[in-house]
Amino acid sequence: MTALPQSRQLTKRAGRSRSKRNLLAAAIFLVPTVVLILVLRVVPTFVAASQSLHRGIPGSIDAPAFVGAQVYAGLFQSPGFWQTLGQTLLFNVIVNPLQIFISLLLAVLLTRGLPASGVWRTLIFLPAAVPLAGSTIVWGLALRPDGPVNGVLQALGLPAQPFLTSPNQVIGSLILIVSWIGVGYWMIFLIAGLNDIPTVYLEAARMDGAGALRTFFSITIPMLRRPLLFVLVADTVSNFVLFAPVQILTNGGPQGQSNFLMFDVYNQSYNLSNPYAGSAELVILLVIMIAIVTVQFRLLGRGEDN
Amino acid sequence: MIKNRIGRTGLTALAIIISLLFLLPVIWLIASTFRTANETFASSSPLSWAALWPQHWTLANIESAVNNGFLQNLGNSIFVAGVTVVVGLAISAMAAFALAVIPFRGRAATFSIVVLSFLVPFEAIAIPLSQSFSQWGLSNSFLALILPGLGNGLAVFTLRQFFLGVPPSLAEAADMDGAGWARIFWSIYLPLARPALIGAGLILFLFQWQAYLWPILVVSNSNLDLAPVAISKSFGAFTNNYGQVFAETAVLAVIPAIVLLALQRFFVTSVASTGSKE
Repeated sequence: MTALPQSRQLTKRAGRSRSKRNLLAAAIFLVPTVVLILVLRVVPTFVAASQSLHRGIPGSIDAPAFVGAQVYAGLFQSPGFWQTLGQTLLFNVIVNPLQIFISLLLAVLLTRGLPASGVWRTLIFLPAAVPLAGSTIVWGLALRPDGPVNGVLQALGLPAQPFLTSPNQVIGSLILIVSWIGVGYWMIFLIAGLNDIPTVYLEAARMDGAGALRTFFSITIPMLRRPLLFVLVADTVSNFVLFAPVQILTNGGPQGQSNFLMFDVYNQSYNLSNPYAGSAELVILLVIMIAIVTVQFRLLGRGEDN
Repeated sequence: MIKNRIGRTGLTALAIIISLLFLLPVIWLIASTFRTANETFASSSPLSWAALWPQHWTLANIESAVNNGFLQNLGNSIFVAGVTVVVGLAISAMAAFALAVIPFRGRAATFSIVVLSFLVPFEAIAIPLSQSFSQWGLSNSFLALILPGLGNGLAVFTLRQFFLGVPPSLAEAADMDGAGWARIFWSIYLPLARPALIGAGLILFLFQWQAYLWPILVVSNSNLDLAPVAISKSFGAFTNNYGQVFAETAVLAVIPAIVLLALQRFFVTSVASTGSKE
């Protein structure tokens, strides 16, 4: 009769040594990735946050002095900063819904079982495979006064447009470029999501006599909420940190109209030798991004238990 | 019935027109690779069908790219992406295995660090990080180019999703037989995970193949320039010889296009599990 508790004691001890062994194994498996993520992603965020509260003289050997919110106050008083912020928000308010809307239309079109759907899907996805710097340059050349885009306009009897060199058209031109690249990429995620919707639901809706539009809004969209949320968040984040097209094609111009926050962080830090203002702008960029992503989660992630 | 068929034909036509809109810039890029820049812009202003097909074929643009050292830039890109894929896959798979299979205290907390890492995009912290790299004396090295690609939260996440789907009874049986975690990982989980490994490998590859901001921040020695940086430099340097720029971009685009077309099936499956089954 005494054998039972004794064996329980033994299992308990064995369990403790096993959990220690597991912890050790897990640590060995995880160390490289966790150290890299901490050192290369988490720490720099805090470095930037701390740097934004300091100010120093470029090239001086004195340690930068702690100045509290002074750098932020300086930014808030500068009209250039407000223009940068306004242009960044304007660009994102247009480009993100536009890209997701077109991606969704394309995804729906290409999951209708049309002939050779795979071919059309691949062709639309192709631009995403070209490195951003390369496609940026090709579009920059295509939008020149003597480029093929103006060639098409003139063939249609329309006047040639200045595109990237006009303060009024530069944002529209950048939206065109990044959408040509991004739409096919996000479409692939939405196609995967559409294929995951069980066909019984769609058939049931048809049995009940629901039309295509009705089915789309009451079955497809609600069932697609997770992939849609994922795509919207990922797209927003990638457009807020858009860099190559601005640096290569416009350098923030003309007249600062494409001087988005991300580019200005780079410009402040490297060309204007003011890493403190750069860091402060970076913190502002992160805060805005997190706020927008939170709102997106609230709107689309409602009722989810994640 | 007839109305339905007309609708279907219309939709197919629409799909074809849209794909052509996405394809046309690519055709223009390839055509412009094989002709002089003068011919390229002469054919588009005024526009003629010759814009999509070279009239006088030439390899001069490719020669000029090679003579300007583009092969070395391409080699740098392939080396950086290759090392990133191999090392990155190894450490991401290990981390994903621990997070999915080994029961240990602090698993949830460790996983949240991984998730956190892909909520803060790398580009956002690249600038402060590059200042740290130069303080650590790591600038201008392949190590500096490779390191940020290795700790990829999205790759870990994708692999963990896959490992969670492997029946735990397999690992339990092996555990009973006294196999350690290393052996369970190596001989049970890794061989099963080939599709997920391909998906995660593509994520790691594209991160480096697309890299632009980070290389210009940490590399000033032009021998170490990656291909996208080299292209942007030749774009800035020549005001007339855009032929070389077309040729370099075409080469840079063809490589991932081949990789993606060959592996697209796996890519779609793996992004599906990332997007919809959080």
